[in-house]
Amino acid sequence: MHQPRLKSKVRCTDREVGEITHVIVDPLSHDVSHIVVGGNGGGGRQIPMSEVQSVVDGLVQLRTASNALAQFPPLKREDYVTTHEVEIAHLEDHLHVESGEVLVPLPTLERNVPRRTFFMNLTHVIGALVALPLAFPVLKYLMKPMYSPFDNAWLKVGNVNRIKTDDVGMQFKYKKKVKEAFMPEAEVDKNVWILKASPAVLEEVYRGKDMEFRDQTGRLVWTNKKDVPYVVFSGKCPHLGCGYKWRKVPKLGKEIFLCPCHLSIYEPSGKVLDGPAPRPLDTLPIRVDAGGNVEIIDMEFKAGTKAQTRIV
Amino acid sequence: MSGQPNVLEKVIAFVDERVGLKTLQAKMLNEPVPGGSRWAYIFGSVLLFIFIMQAVTGILLMFYYVPSADHAYASTQYIIHEVDYGWFLLSYHFWGSSAMVVMVFAHMSQVFLWGAYKSPREMIWLVGLALFGIVMAFGFTGYLLPWDQRAYWATTVGVEIMDKTPIVGDFMARFLKGGATPGQMTLSRFFVIHVMILPAMLMGLAGLHIFLFRKAGPAGPFQGTPAELKAKTDYFFPRQIWKDMVAMAAVFATICSLAFIEPVVLLEEATPDPGEYHPEPEWYFLFLFQLLRLKIFSGEFGQFLGAIAIPGAFMALLAALPFIDRSPERNIFKRPVALIGWIAVMAAILIFTVSAIINREFLD
Repeated sequence: MHQPRLKSKVRCTDREVGEITHVIVDPLSHDVSHIVVGGNGGGGRQIPMSEVQSVVDGLVQLRTASNALAQFPPLKREDYVTTHEVEIAHLEDHLHVESGEVLVPLPTLERNVPRRTFFMNLTHVIGALVALPLAFPVLKYLMKPMYSPFDNAWLKVGNVNRIKTDDVGMQFKYKKKVKEAFMPEAEVDKNVWILKASPAVLEEVYRGKDMEFRDQTGRLVWTNKKDVPYVVFSGKCPHLGCGYKWRKVPKLGKEIFLCPCHLSIYEPSGKVLDGPAPRPLDTLPIRVDAGGNVEIIDMEFKAGTKAQTRIV
Repeated sequence: MSGQPNVLEKVIAFVDERVGLKTLQAKMLNEPVPGGSRWAYIFGSVLLFIFIMQAVTGILLMFYYVPSADHAYASTQYIIHEVDYGWFLLSYHFWGSSAMVVMVFAHMSQVFLWGAYKSPREMIWLVGLALFGIVMAFGFTGYLLPWDQRAYWATTVGVEIMDKTPIVGDFMARFLKGGATPGQMTLSRFFVIHVMILPAMLMGLAGLHIFLFRKAGPAGPFQGTPAELKAKTDYFFPRQIWKDMVAMAAVFATICSLAFIEPVVLLEEATPDPGEYHPEPEWYFLFLFQLLRLKIFSGEFGQFLGAIAIPGAFMALLAALPFIDRSPERNIFKRPVALIGWIAVMAAILIFTVSAIINREFLD
């Protein structure tokens, strides 16, 4: 059955009683639930849709006789809001109570549809012409500080005479000067761990081979000789880059390197004993003069990878 | 109507005629809530409230905060120790971020348990997931700004985790850090992301979220016949708004209390030497942090699995959820897989968070 429309004539079984002044919609089902009939004899009564027998050509036929209309309650307008004052999703898709479409003429100049499509596409083309040439400069602008050359300068970090016992990790703190972009030169605190290695541990670190360090171009920067007993480890945990500590673990009955972040444990030689670390501690270039003064090259390697990739 | 309208009424009528305020207000307030208002529906409004308060306190913090490596720490300390009520605004902003995360979890859980992500509300769910990501990004970027040790190390480890993304990871991490290691460039970038990019994204997507929600209409309860739902239906105003207001007031009081009881205290200034500090992320990232301590996530591949693949797969599963779960059944007690899945995820997060906290004492 069609939806009854506003202004439609309403007929009872015996005679015509007036026209529809309001249509009441159920907010959940979106169906028309009642019509309100006004005019001669309708009396503004609110009639449920179950009383509507048919809707044909703008004429609504009721099942009721005109003298029985008084049994229906009159419309209490204050109990309702209009569809303009309420937000019901997709209501307009379900309602066809206006009599037909209400039309507004398209201006003469707008009647050429292909031209409208052309202009729509043209706005996209112009947008692309603005955006595309900017993409590369913007990317380069943002990438400026991302890759910088390695610094291979030697830094004094202290004196190895501090170290009294073999195979014990000793932390050496030092200041490093950084000059970042436009910023004034500043100092940051860093640390490395230095070990006076016993021959057994030294063998574990170097495996009988000298250790070579290179810069980006592959040029040799320094070689750690396998028979120098002082070994220096970068202070950065190779798991995810935290700072690790030297800890006595009663359960293991020995002292080890422990990273508090994700609990990676390393032997004094830097070998992974337990925890999630993917590779041993990173050995750095070290040189010790006759007086015991230590210098290192402050290198950093990418954390979390099996291979050692230098990033600083 | 009696008497002539007074000046105020005339002004209101003048504006309304030109703007259509009354219709707009009516439309905003008169939204039928099938089955009636409920306390379960408060979370979205509460999130909007928390966001507005974060924006207000955030703007106020920027009056003194300087995003540079040599001033960020000092300016934050100045806010805490010198500026009148600076400690309160900063602590409110800090605890507000935690409240935001709690409410996001509650909101997502409610929508999940009520089956409200199902057709025709798939788009609302997807936009909601994007908003979830933005809230987490807010927490992560904001954490660096005070430039103390806690800030520095949370960022160091967090960005290292992103670095583990295959192919683009190294580029992404360097792009975010503005170099190989965290420094001034990182601070500048995180600042811009935190105060400009994320707020713009959040406002746009939250607007879209609400628009789509209004377009589809509220889902209503997951059980009850149409007649029962209709009988209990009310409008958004006043009953639901009343519940929302009570919840907002409670959240506001809670955040204020936390700011009073546990005001923000900074650690030492950021530097690549952690000293005696044991790095740890904010509590809502602790479960992920603890996850990465597990033996099964060791080594290069294990780390990729724990840090990228599993969280990524979980988010992808959430995004695919309305398209996989096409059954119209919304009653959570008739969706055993969904119910067990939700309990399992919540239990896992709880267990990992608690074990991370227990682990703390073994480290000292």
